[in-house]
Amino acid sequence: MPREAEPSLNEREFVLKALQENTRLDGRELDQYRPLELTFGDQYGVADVTLGKTRVLAKASAEVTVPYTDRPLDGIFNIATELSPMTSPAFEVNRPTETEVLISRLLEKTVRRSGALDTESLCLVAGQKCWSIRVDVHVLSHDGNLIDAACFAVVAALRHFRKPDTSMEGGVLTVYTPAEREPVPLSWLHSPFCITWSFFGEEGEIALLDATWLEEQVRVGSCTISLNKHGEICQIAKLGGTPVEAVALLQCTNVALSRAKDFSAFLDRKLAEDAKRRDKGGLLAELSAENDR
Amino acid sequence: MPLDTSTYSLGLLRVDGRRWNELRRIHAQIRTQAAADGSSYLEMGHTKVMCVVTGPTEPGPRRGGNVGSAGGAGAASGGQHKDAEVLVNIVIAGFSSVDRKRRGKGDKRTLEMQSTVANALAASLHIHLFPHSQITISLHVLSQDGSLLAALINAATLACVDAGIPMTDYVAACTAGSTSTYAANDESADPLLDLNHQEEQELPGLTVATLGETDRVAVLVCESRVQVSRLEGMLAVGVDGCKQVREILDRVVREKGRKMIQEGTVERGTGLNDMDVD
Amino acid sequence: MATERPLVLPGDVIPPSLIPTSANPNKKQQPLRLGPGLRHIPPSDIVPTVAGQLITVPHKNSMWVEYNSSRYTPTPSDLVIATISRSGPDFYYASLSPYTANATLPHLSFEGATKKTRPQLPPGSLVYARVTLANKHMDPEIECVSSATGKADGLGPLKDGMVFDISLGFARRLLMARSKEEGKVEVLELLGEEGLAFETAVGRNGKVWVSGASDAKGNEGVNAKTVVVVGRALQETDTKRLGVEQQRKLVKKLVREMR
Repeated sequence: MPREAEPSLNEREFVLKALQENTRLDGRELDQYRPLELTFGDQYGVADVTLGKTRVLAKASAEVTVPYTDRPLDGIFNIATELSPMTSPAFEVNRPTETEVLISRLLEKTVRRSGALDTESLCLVAGQKCWSIRVDVHVLSHDGNLIDAACFAVVAALRHFRKPDTSMEGGVLTVYTPAEREPVPLSWLHSPFCITWSFFGEEGEIALLDATWLEEQVRVGSCTISLNKHGEICQIAKLGGTPVEAVALLQCTNVALSRAKDFSAFLDRKLAEDAKRRDKGGLLAELSAENDR
Repeated sequence: MPLDTSTYSLGLLRVDGRRWNELRRIHAQIRTQAAADGSSYLEMGHTKVMCVVTGPTEPGPRRGGNVGSAGGAGAASGGQHKDAEVLVNIVIAGFSSVDRKRRGKGDKRTLEMQSTVANALAASLHIHLFPHSQITISLHVLSQDGSLLAALINAATLACVDAGIPMTDYVAACTAGSTSTYAANDESADPLLDLNHQEEQELPGLTVATLGETDRVAVLVCESRVQVSRLEGMLAVGVDGCKQVREILDRVVREKGRKMIQEGTVERGTGLNDMDVD
Repeated sequence: MATERPLVLPGDVIPPSLIPTSANPNKKQQPLRLGPGLRHIPPSDIVPTVAGQLITVPHKNSMWVEYNSSRYTPTPSDLVIATISRSGPDFYYASLSPYTANATLPHLSFEGATKKTRPQLPPGSLVYARVTLANKHMDPEIECVSSATGKADGLGPLKDGMVFDISLGFARRLLMARSKEEGKVEVLELLGEEGLAFETAVGRNGKVWVSGASDAKGNEGVNAKTVVVVGRALQETDTKRLGVEQQRKLVKKLVREMR
């Protein structure tokens, strides 16, 4: 396995020196994100998120399975993360690196444990049949801040996703194809977003948002805060690194809240645009029997 | 998650009879294992943890151990492998919790804790003094009753002190919670210190680790939903608790040092003259 | 000087009219020199192996294919920016590009270096060096001194400054003797005209080193911003494939932002 190339001493020193002058290499402000782009696929539940040169693709899918015996009334919800050699030769298939473990843990805590998806609504027949929702996260290109991009992609994919409609009549479960009945959205409770702060300097006194890969290699610590627009923290993870003043962390949380609100508004807008695009001509077009020529 | 009276009654006493700002009993010992470079045993209430430190030694055959899967968590090993590498290995005994659950080696929660302990200590240990070497910290969980990560960090700190690895200061950790549920924005909610297992299940909480007597936070982990406005109170209580924990850890280390001088295991150094030996 | 640069694809037949011949009978017949991307199949076929622009220089009797690849292949006498990864008993091991084998840089191939006076380079330092040996089956070798004259000629350790990644094609364009006319890169000259003081070193391995010369007052604060502006100008010119006119606009914009 080739080792990840490390930045040279000159680069390390320069990044720090520039940050002390409030300058970032790409000319951004310290608390400014790179341009965030989101495109939905033709299928439901595919979200492609680009954050600068970082690109993450998330795909949600659903199938009917048997629920876990200890939780007969809940559906199954999984998030699978994959960092493939496509991202960087330093990643190997089937051998999760520490980065990958931490990302999947963070996504799980942010989206799954915070109860963003109502798993009880996935239950079809108690103890026998339930929906299993799975989100596959593929990192296509890595230029720092994978966590924020991946979390945004997962939330966008799940909110965009439609699962086949079902009905129960006389103990018979029917799953309808999209042609028979329009698929239904998931029962979604709140949208959490990850915001990652990176700390620089001897005492971690310089904090910035959305670090690039080079900045991530130079930073002394990071703190990922997950919030939704209602001001609820879903998860905080500052996993070691140089200690940072408690007051500074509180300030970071407040800035993160406003960022989470921005993300939320952005996602709502994109979802509305996509719905409009899919619903060309509205109901009338749907009812018309005319074929495309 | 409704807050039932069993957790926090009107008498402002918690299930185990503590007040909001009281720690559980912390009992700690250092130098418990004769064969190890450094070792410690720590109880926080019913959470019991053992720690063994080996190193700094020459790195083993597994070079470039940044791959977390094999059980090691490579800490920020600075520039081109200039600094010592801190490897942490956590074993959670099958009998440690109420339901006997086998956790595989690849359990992500354990891997995350390994990396957290490694990164937290790497920032406090002077790893730049030991280039091209590694420090292995093995942690064994014997009994779990909440605040597991905090106990692990405290035990690892004590064992590193025992191993004589130079470090900036103690990394002391504890947990803090809040009696408010995530949805309720009730202003009357009280922060709680040092959660036990039952409280951890029912209430939002976070784990804080600070460096020495400062307010600088090395680790902050929150895994439950909580209102942003609750954070400040919880953090303040947590940081305060960390200072109390630091006092306790410091007392344990001094106690042991005094005993060792009395027993004559170590020479009484000249710098120790001001230390009162009774 | 052939102005047209036909696009060739691997396996194309190169029309004989494009192959330079020593038209000048007075001169001694020079052998035809093939550069990167061309392959000679005896007896007389010349086949391109990569897609790109075919460039012919009749007066040197040489031809090659200009293309923008993403991986750097070391070629003798290329100027490169290398990162020292470690030091051995006689050599430094330096990396030219990520995920490839290290190049070797002898300890003594610096200007005026002896066993005692050689520069001590910690891992992670940068050097500006020339490739001396490169072939398929061996690790490349580089040097920081001209072995003929014993002079550094501008090669050697690079202090401070910042390295920016650029594409290989853009690095070659920057290194052209007349980069303005042939390479259509004017961005560095334009930045200089705006009054920015800086120095650069371009490596064929797709790296450019930029350092701000401290101004008369020794004001360090100007430096980081200048370097960032130069680096961004270079990278944007490269990734957005800007023409000369757009480069002018870009430089104006960046300089205005800085002040």
